[in-house]
Amino acid sequence: MQSLAKFAHASTHYRPRDGMIAFLLHRISGLAVLFFLSIHIIDTAMVYFHPSGYEDFLAVYRSPYFMLAEIALVAGVIYHGLNGFRIALFDLVLPSAWTIDRERLSVRLTILLAFILWLPAGVIMGGNFIGYTFLGW
Amino acid sequence: MAPPAATPVTTRRSWLTVAWTLMRLSAILLVPLVWIHVVIQDMLVGVHRINLEYVAMRWASLGWRIYDAGLLCFAFAHGTNGLRQVLEDYIHGRRARRVIRVLLFCFWLGITALGAAAVIGGVGS
Repeated sequence: MQSLAKFAHASTHYRPRDGMIAFLLHRISGLAVLFFLSIHIIDTAMVYFHPSGYEDFLAVYRSPYFMLAEIALVAGVIYHGLNGFRIALFDLVLPSAWTIDRERLSVRLTILLAFILWLPAGVIMGGNFIGYTFLGW
Repeated sequence: MAPPAATPVTTRRSWLTVAWTLMRLSAILLVPLVWIHVVIQDMLVGVHRINLEYVAMRWASLGWRIYDAGLLCFAFAHGTNGLRQVLEDYIHGRRARRVIRVLLFCFWLGITALGAAAVIGGVGS
């Protein structure tokens, strides 16, 4: 119990800086995308093994809850891709760029660019969500 | 006193080093591959216009089948290896790591086989 209290204290009192935030976002988005990807391969396999089951999956994907989750999923795909590209670029081409200053700058640019790229996706998919959920498209 | 000269050592490249490199190379490939897929299917087409006929139409072209096969190979292997990395941050025992590696390999093989059957077999009747 004491260790749980310690963990709760540390979790709420430790303030992560840019690099750790990038790491946490990368991990969470990666796990979320893998979770959906596993389901998505199975639903696509239905096309061959059990075509009517594919329509059942699509009905779930068309539900309002899933449409919202899809918007978050796209945010995860954009961030994970950009940040992964940053890591690959630094590790393979510019290892000297792994300094705290450049890490902070590159993390902030990555998050900003991910948000900018996500905006049109959010508008299009958000529009679909509103149209199909409330306007009876 | 001058510090002792560095002694170069040669180490054998383990499969973990290969996996580390492949994660980065596949990342560079996956950015265009996955983003184009997401832009077309989630934004331009949208889930409400996707159905069996749409899949059949797409897979009528060999190019899109090869594209989807590439997604299946690279994205899912990248993801499963990523999950292994995450789990091994918390699981340190030799036996436990061996168990999760075998389980993840079976998971990867099973799901990939399912997806491959669909990409090759096409829309069933």
